Amino acid sequence: MLIDRQKALLFAAAAAVRLLLFTAFPSLPSLLAGRVEVSTPVTSFKRLQEGLFLYTHDVSPYDGGVYHQAPLLLPLFSLLPNTSYYPFATNLVYIAVDLLGANALMQIAESGQSATTRLFKSSRNDLRWSSVAIGAGFLFNPFTVATCIARSTSALANLFILMAMAKASQGASITFVFALSIAAYLSMHPLLLFPPLLILCYDARATRSRQAPNAFTFTAIYALGLVVSLGSLLYISSVLTSSWEFLASTYGVRLLLPDLTPNVGLWWYFFTEMFDSFREFFLGVFWVHVASYMPGLTIRLRKQPLFVATTLTGIFAIFTPYPSIADAALYLSLVPLFRHLFPLMRYTFLASSTILYASFLGPAFYYLWIYAGSGNANFFYAITLVWSLGLSVVVGDSLYAALRDELDVERPELRGKEVKRI
Amino acid sequence: MLSFLALLLFNAFIASASASSDYSEHLLLRPLPQKALLASFNFRSNESSTAFEQQNFRYFPRSLGQILQHAGTKELHLRFSLGRWDAENWGQRPWNGAREGGTGVELWAWVEAQNEEEAFARWLTLTNALSGLFCASLNFIDATKTIRPVMSFPPEGDHQNPSQLHLLHGTLPHEVVCTENLTPFLKLLPCKGKAGISSLLDGHKLFDASWQTMAVDVRPVCEEDGECTLETEQTVDMVLDIDRSKRPRDNPIPRPLPIEEIECDTSKGYSAQDTCYPIHKTSEPAFSLSGIYGRSLKGACPLTDESSENSYTVCINTPPERIIHVNTTGQYAESTSENHAMRCYKLPVGADFDLVLPEQQMTTRLVLAQPPLYAARHINGHGQEHGSVQAVITNPSSTDAVEFVYLESLPWFMKPYIHTLQARVNSSPENPIRETYYRPAVDRQRGTHLELRMVIPAASTLTLTYDFEKAILRYTEYPPDANRGFDAAPAIIRLISPESLDKKGIYLRTTSLLLPLPTPDFSMPYNVIILTSTVIALGFGNIFNLLVRRFVGADEVQGMGPGGLKGIIRGKVERLKARFLTKKKTA
Repeated sequence: MLIDRQKALLFAAAAAVRLLLFTAFPSLPSLLAGRVEVSTPVTSFKRLQEGLFLYTHDVSPYDGGVYHQAPLLLPLFSLLPNTSYYPFATNLVYIAVDLLGANALMQIAESGQSATTRLFKSSRNDLRWSSVAIGAGFLFNPFTVATCIARSTSALANLFILMAMAKASQGASITFVFALSIAAYLSMHPLLLFPPLLILCYDARATRSRQAPNAFTFTAIYALGLVVSLGSLLYISSVLTSSWEFLASTYGVRLLLPDLTPNVGLWWYFFTEMFDSFREFFLGVFWVHVASYMPGLTIRLRKQPLFVATTLTGIFAIFTPYPSIADAALYLSLVPLFRHLFPLMRYTFLASSTILYASFLGPAFYYLWIYAGSGNANFFYAITLVWSLGLSVVVGDSLYAALRDELDVERPELRGKEVKRI
Repeated sequence: MLSFLALLLFNAFIASASASSDYSEHLLLRPLPQKALLASFNFRSNESSTAFEQQNFRYFPRSLGQILQHAGTKELHLRFSLGRWDAENWGQRPWNGAREGGTGVELWAWVEAQNEEEAFARWLTLTNALSGLFCASLNFIDATKTIRPVMSFPPEGDHQNPSQLHLLHGTLPHEVVCTENLTPFLKLLPCKGKAGISSLLDGHKLFDASWQTMAVDVRPVCEEDGECTLETEQTVDMVLDIDRSKRPRDNPIPRPLPIEEIECDTSKGYSAQDTCYPIHKTSEPAFSLSGIYGRSLKGACPLTDESSENSYTVCINTPPERIIHVNTTGQYAESTSENHAMRCYKLPVGADFDLVLPEQQMTTRLVLAQPPLYAARHINGHGQEHGSVQAVITNPSSTDAVEFVYLESLPWFMKPYIHTLQARVNSSPENPIRETYYRPAVDRQRGTHLELRMVIPAASTLTLTYDFEKAILRYTEYPPDANRGFDAAPAIIRLISPESLDKKGIYLRTTSLLLPLPTPDFSMPYNVIILTSTVIALGFGNIFNLLVRRFVGADEVQGMGPGGLKGIIRGKVERLKARFLTKKKTA
């Protein structure tokens, strides 16, 4: 009862903050939507509006270089009144998306899968934050708020990733597969979350039913389920746009990076400066690199699938071609689920100050480059390096903590002693 | 009004004359306000279609004819332009803007082909061949700079099978038009700049003009009985600054005159022996043809028809009171139009010809025709991230609404947001856009093509705005002077109503836009590759180092004291110690 009241209060407060920002600063949404840190070419709301305009005027939005987002967003947003004149309905949708995301995050927290799984029970599992606190960490994270106000469609992708995680941790396998396929449909790379979340789902089902389902058939069924639901989403899209050209314009753009608009990631400047003959090679290398984390983490941390999924969202926030602060917001909201690892982390001060440093200096350096003309591209590039480094310190450090935590369970005699890696 | 009528007469006179004879040339001079002088050169030749197809070229330049035949081009329009026509002061454009191009090079052609692919292949053949012929970078007109206008350019000629004709249009706004383009232009003429009015054309003066445009137009013209001729028209229009043009070539830098030669305004209190406030002259400046062109007119081109009215080659459009001296040793004739505003001269053959106009205080002035529309376009906003384009189009007429087509051809790296396109008329809340054609750009494949049919009510101003975003390019895609910015081609406006009297149409063009793009640091591709790779290696190394290794207690590992350099040094010291100690023992 108390939890419910707290939750209602939290949601009301979060919605009120967003409504206040939307109404008190009417120019804020378009200002934030133009910021490269918040909106990337594949998530920008302004580009979505352009796509909508072309869609409603019977011009194919994919026969152009501006709109690179999923086709199903078009009929969805065309139901809403025109955002240029009546933004209220769209704003409400984005607020609801954030609240639903927070709700899913709280479900994950309540499932307790972060510290206690079927095969593993952390020795510090009593050390945790309440689900309301974790929900508040998501809803009042300035990065989440900025994403919501900018109405970036990565808010939607984040929602479906969180829903997939929540459903997987509850063992609701069909909704999990469906949510994940939507997330993958919207932004492609969440597909890599499928193996760890499938293990999570399997574990949740196995603990609930006391008799573990056959692992092989379980995997086969839900892999097939993912293929079917993703395939049907793509098929509906092709019927809707009456051609398959959206594939090249959405996933092709993510794979081949034709649009080099600056963002907080590592790819754009690298491929701006890359020699033409090596471009394809490095595109391949970078994508293989992003994908390589999934099998490694899933195998090594087989017992903690939720941690693997969280770490992968962190990897996405650093190493995908078009990351934004929305991806970082998702990762940084998932990290508090692992409160029990915090005592084992070694570089918390370094990592948090690096991230703070980058988030304050990033906009300033971008201004110096683009508007003031007193700096050049290297200013913003340097800050994206710092940002990526800061996030990768968090990822690496939390991974160290998780492994150390596992070691404490396997070999309790080493608890609190100095360890070495061999 | 006086001059406008005269101009109409002049145009009609050329049109009627050209049909009868095979080659004609005309020069129209008109002093404009602010010491400017408009000079319009027009060269026109006819070739029958059958002779053309049999490669039997008389007046038609062979080099151009063979290119047109090879590329299947039925109608060709090529423009080289510089500068800006100041419509506020100079009035209506020469030829109603139909023989004018946007800044840089503009080319459009009707190409005969079975399908679009073939048409585009022929178009590339055409641009490459013309590039060689005119020494211009026309070969850079690729798919990203080519559009297929739907409303802006109706065919000027009479075509047999319009269904197989494809219109392609390309612009190079960055191209600097210069002397190397004039020489091949003159070589296409029958008299090749050796005689006739073309002997006046000198690259130094032409490209020093405030505004100039060179045009080549080829179009088939069919009579009602089915007999067709191929008409080639070459025009050069320029507005010269008289003072600037009169400067001798060996002393081109304007220097202040000695104080004795300046007329001073003695009513000023500070006027003295050594201080002078120059009087602003209201009189028309003196000039002569040889003075402003730096060379003399070498008599008539012998290929022009000598008997008809067409032989009155040089015309000057001034009020009748203006004194004109003709300076020649040969035989010439003068004819005056009814209202005396236009005086035309028949050139002598084989003798130099010069017109000399002394400085004169005028009591009457030419009334210049008002242009049907004024148009200006510019970029709003600052920074190298996004901005907006604003076009302001004014209809000066107090009675008639004007309907027109507005064409924009934008480079792909300037990404317009068409949902932000707004057109407002200051006199009515009605949306002036009647029809829109929009083809969005695709990165590195094609540019944006936007055509709008709009109506401006009488005495109103239309403001058209849209937002755009600037893309950042790969570092190899920037030109050598990347920080100068990129040029966006001028907008082209074609009037639909009031309709033009001939098939050429009424056009006007805005100036081109300079678009600064964000630039990367060109000096450090290696540094960027190394630094980014370092950050990725740090992340990858850190994570996989944790994943593939096993944890053990620090005290469980034998022989692994403190690691690193310290450990190595300590190990060496231990070994040395051990050796010396054992030696001592043995000793």
